[in-house]
Amino acid sequence: MIPVTSEERQWFLSNLALGLVEYMGVAEPPVPVEEILKHPPSLYESDFGVVDMYSNLWDATFARPPTQRGSVFVRIDLPPDERRFALAREMLSALITSKHGRAMGLSDFLMTDLRESAEFFARKLLMPETLVTAFRRRKGRLQSVSETFQVPPPVASMGWDESSAALN
Amino acid sequence: MTMQALNQLVARSIIDPAIVQSFSTGRIGELISDLDFSAELRERLSGLKASSWAEYAVLAYRVVKATERATVRVELPSPAEGLLPEQRKSGEERVA
Repeated sequence: MIPVTSEERQWFLSNLALGLVEYMGVAEPPVPVEEILKHPPSLYESDFGVVDMYSNLWDATFARPPTQRGSVFVRIDLPPDERRFALAREMLSALITSKHGRAMGLSDFLMTDLRESAEFFARKLLMPETLVTAFRRRKGRLQSVSETFQVPPPVASMGWDESSAALN
Repeated sequence: MTMQALNQLVARSIIDPAIVQSFSTGRIGELISDLDFSAELRERLSGLKASSWAEYAVLAYRVVKATERATVRVELPSPAEGLLPEQRKSGEERVA
């Protein structure tokens, strides 16, 4: 695999997120991330799923039990915005380890900085550029991003800054 | 438009296996020919060699970005263009 810059990786991840947002036909926030995990495109039928768990160790993690479909195992008591972000973040692991993701070469490309890549991907999935731009045009403010996009406040702030940087 | 076309291609590739298959079977040129790229860019993108679709996408990004930068450079007016007529004019006034 060729060396890739952080900007190039982010460009690629933004487009993967865009592809899923367009597939879902999302016209306004919030992006229904749990819906796509529960009702995935046929390509990911054996890779997407959600299982609620009681855990104090982690918020969510993707696992692929032998002979079963892969699922995001998510802590049952997470607040809704944190749950959405955790599901979106773990979706990248589902994509990377899927048959199609392996055919795309995603693992070589994204495994080295998986956590950083997954969090960036989650922000782009939950706060797509087109929806953030539309939100700005309607005079939307940073203070209401978290509520509108249903993401945790720190994620809202980071996603907003990334979107501002993309405009410049 | 060219970067937008590439963005759309990469975005579609996450849900459309036909794109990755085209790449894997060496038929990416056929796919590229349907998109909004200039003939020269189409040729360059069709000729890229990569070990995976993800790597191809990044190499294509570099090519398209470099092309767009070059286009912007060509379109920018030279700073001298705006100044020369004024200088000439003031020079003419002084002579008169």
